[in-house]
Amino acid sequence: MPIIKKPSRLVTRRSALKGLAVGTGAVAAAGTLPGFVRYSQAQSSEPIRIGFQVHRTGIGAAYGRWYDRTTQAATKAINDAGGINGRPVEIIAEDDGTDPKRGAEVVEKFASQHNCDLAFGTLFSHVVFGSAPRAGELKIPYFVVSEGHHVASGKLNRYTLQPGITDVKSQVQAMAPFVSDNLGKKVTMIYPDFAFGHDHRDYFSAALEQQGGEVIAKIAIPPTESSFTKYFPKIPRDTEVIYHVMVGPAVLTFVKEMGEFYGPNKPEIFGFIDSLEAVDMASPGLEFLEGSYFWEGNPRYAQKDQSTYDKDYRAAVGVDDNGASVSDPKDVSTYSHMFGCWETLYTIKDGMEAAGYKGPEDRTKLIEAVESITDIPHSAEHPQGAKIFNGKTHQVFGHQYISKVKDGKLELAHTTSIEDTLYDDEVDYTTQPF
Amino acid sequence: MQHTVSRLVAVFLALVLAGPAAAHVSQQGFVLLLPTNVYMTAGIWVVAVTALAIAFTPGDVGERLFSTLALPKIPAPHWETVTSLLAFLFLCWLVSMGLSGSRDPLANPLPLFIWTVFWIMLVIVQAVIGNLWHWINPWTGIARLLFANPRRRPILAWPAWLGSWPAIVGLLAFSSFVLADPAPDDPARLAMIVAGYWLFTMVAILVFGERQWLARGEFLTILMRHFASLAPLRLGRRASCLGAPAWQLLSAAPHSASAGIFVLILLGTGSFDGLNETFWWLSLIDVNPLEFPGRSAIITETVTGLLLTNTLLVLAFAILVWTGHRMATRRVLPAERTGYRDVFGKLCLSTLPIALAYHVAHYLTVVLVNGQYALAAASDPYAIGADYLGLGTFYVTTGFFNSRDTVQVIFLTQAGAVVLGHAIAILIAHAIALRIYGQNRLAVISQIPVAAFMIAYTFLGLWLLAAPKGA
Repeated sequence: MPIIKKPSRLVTRRSALKGLAVGTGAVAAAGTLPGFVRYSQAQSSEPIRIGFQVHRTGIGAAYGRWYDRTTQAATKAINDAGGINGRPVEIIAEDDGTDPKRGAEVVEKFASQHNCDLAFGTLFSHVVFGSAPRAGELKIPYFVVSEGHHVASGKLNRYTLQPGITDVKSQVQAMAPFVSDNLGKKVTMIYPDFAFGHDHRDYFSAALEQQGGEVIAKIAIPPTESSFTKYFPKIPRDTEVIYHVMVGPAVLTFVKEMGEFYGPNKPEIFGFIDSLEAVDMASPGLEFLEGSYFWEGNPRYAQKDQSTYDKDYRAAVGVDDNGASVSDPKDVSTYSHMFGCWETLYTIKDGMEAAGYKGPEDRTKLIEAVESITDIPHSAEHPQGAKIFNGKTHQVFGHQYISKVKDGKLELAHTTSIEDTLYDDEVDYTTQPF
Repeated sequence: MQHTVSRLVAVFLALVLAGPAAAHVSQQGFVLLLPTNVYMTAGIWVVAVTALAIAFTPGDVGERLFSTLALPKIPAPHWETVTSLLAFLFLCWLVSMGLSGSRDPLANPLPLFIWTVFWIMLVIVQAVIGNLWHWINPWTGIARLLFANPRRRPILAWPAWLGSWPAIVGLLAFSSFVLADPAPDDPARLAMIVAGYWLFTMVAILVFGERQWLARGEFLTILMRHFASLAPLRLGRRASCLGAPAWQLLSAAPHSASAGIFVLILLGTGSFDGLNETFWWLSLIDVNPLEFPGRSAIITETVTGLLLTNTLLVLAFAILVWTGHRMATRRVLPAERTGYRDVFGKLCLSTLPIALAYHVAHYLTVVLVNGQYALAAASDPYAIGADYLGLGTFYVTTGFFNSRDTVQVIFLTQAGAVVLGHAIAILIAHAIALRIYGQNRLAVISQIPVAAFMIAYTFLGLWLLAAPKGA
């Protein structure tokens, strides 16, 4: 264990630090004998050091900014409430440049240089893939917030867990019952022609078939395409639903051109908010999406029946009822994803408390404690909703939200059951040795 | 490794380079919806008309554009030693922060200062107010303290064949670090590089003498001086002058062809540092722009692209200047011709306004975002929860990338800088040619290839702003 370092130097944000000061202050106030207090304080206020692998630069930076903001807010909340096992939490942020090779180096820094208890926070799947093997070699728990199916697929290792955000496979398959029951049975999919799009194609086609529906056309768009008019005539006339998952800078052009192609007589349209995460739904050109549906990981706009948990979570992160920053209504957050940082940190807290975590020697106990988590109730710690954690696959499962665009906002139309998101286990990490 | 599944890969594309870097998918999205073809056409017309207008204007007009107003002598105090020492102390503090401060490059003062304040902002400040770098470079003060005797002879004299090549190597190494290194923002890594470069330069000053090394070997000082020569005002011990931007280039005389090549590499690097983010380039190097694999996967490609772009630019410019020179001096006896090398060196300077325009256009969005982080770090440099500047709860925003109106303003500012830079370049190139050839007709003839090049380059600059990007 490291001796106490000046925490100030190592924490990235003043908010987290203020919380830290409160935490240590409370411990100090509890003692009576001055000499003894100093000692016990030194022992008990040794911070829990969480290495935060954050996309500060590179293509993930816009997400990274909100992941950072949410992480700082959760850390402050945890520290304000006394920390973990009475110890303050300290976030050590390292930029991975949204780069897999750099990601592995960052994990190594957490383990070897910064004496972190664990690593946390990675979003982009290729960085997770690049970093997880190193985490396994260094035997440092690696809590990702990535949504990739990579954890549950069995391709990673016992040290890698995803307890705070659901994976793409469960999200996509959970859309099929709603689409089939409410929008139509004949679906045309439009997706970018690479792994991300292919996953949507494969998971959704299979799930829709089980519901008695059919994907009647699969239109793959080359990733470098910036105009789409030539693809729309390929949409079969009997299409009842268009399922689109376009991403990248040409998304707005895609929507505009689809609007021009169809005019007012459009089929039902269903998409994933990933296309428009952090984009203002009231942007000019998006009018065509009025009446269409989107998957959301967490409803961006505060709903009529908003839970107090969501309300408090928004306030803590500094997000208003439209999902934008309280300091700038145009600064729309990555609301469907960033809650994963908040929830993962609280799961780490639960795991550490259950394991009686004292330091890196207890890392395997922490993993076993998290593996034994099953039901996660809807709470202030888990504001997105209740969840079920699968200790064997290291993946959490939870409700998915389907919202309808109404007056330029997203209004919740349907909440899936957790059961809709489940699939057969593809791995049992608990059988792997540490 | 090739990475499967990422539903998130690429929703937000672009945040440009690691070091200085920031674009945004919604900004990109709105740019693609803007009538950029109209803007590009208009911009190219402005530059083309400028070229035609100056060609058909009487000779003295071209030169009078850059005539100067003599101002009273402004006594500049000899405080360089003190201010440079202060800058050195500040640099020491920054390096120590890089080693010991926050690991977050957007909270640590070192990367924010080096990339956002120094590299992006100071270059622009130099071009507006003049050579501030003269006072704040971190070497002069120490050099004068250590080697106080001004008559001390350098250990080595500067061989003529060396020209500006050490500075060119330095500039290319720096550019490679900015564009290709996987983590130029990493505070500790940057601290080692900054400290190492400071020490290297100090040793070089010891060997070659302060004047020689800073004028020919040290790329930052040369680069800063070049951009300062675009400033309208020049303070001098003998006389101060005020003129149109870039007027100082008229009287500048590069000491060698390599000094001219250095200037072209400033432009070439700025150009590649825009090109390397486009879908076009990423497709060329077989990278899916929506699934960008990270910088470390394309280091070779990036460095090769940087070197290739600069080589092509230098060759193209050299050929164009040579062609123009031949056209203008066909009937002049060889003995009376100005030497080609001299012409090349002087005309290279005329591309400086374009290089500055690229710098402004490329980094505007970075300044808008990272400037906020720099402000927050200034208020809390040690990341201890301090708020020295009284900012209160301060959230960095990128909301201006999320509305069509603000994106349009940003785009037009960038495009305006590009067009203005090219227009000034054409005018100053013409004025330089007038001085070289003495006659308006010859100057105009000599400038036909160079002007055509600059019009084409306007297209490139505007296209780079409008093209879809993904790295």
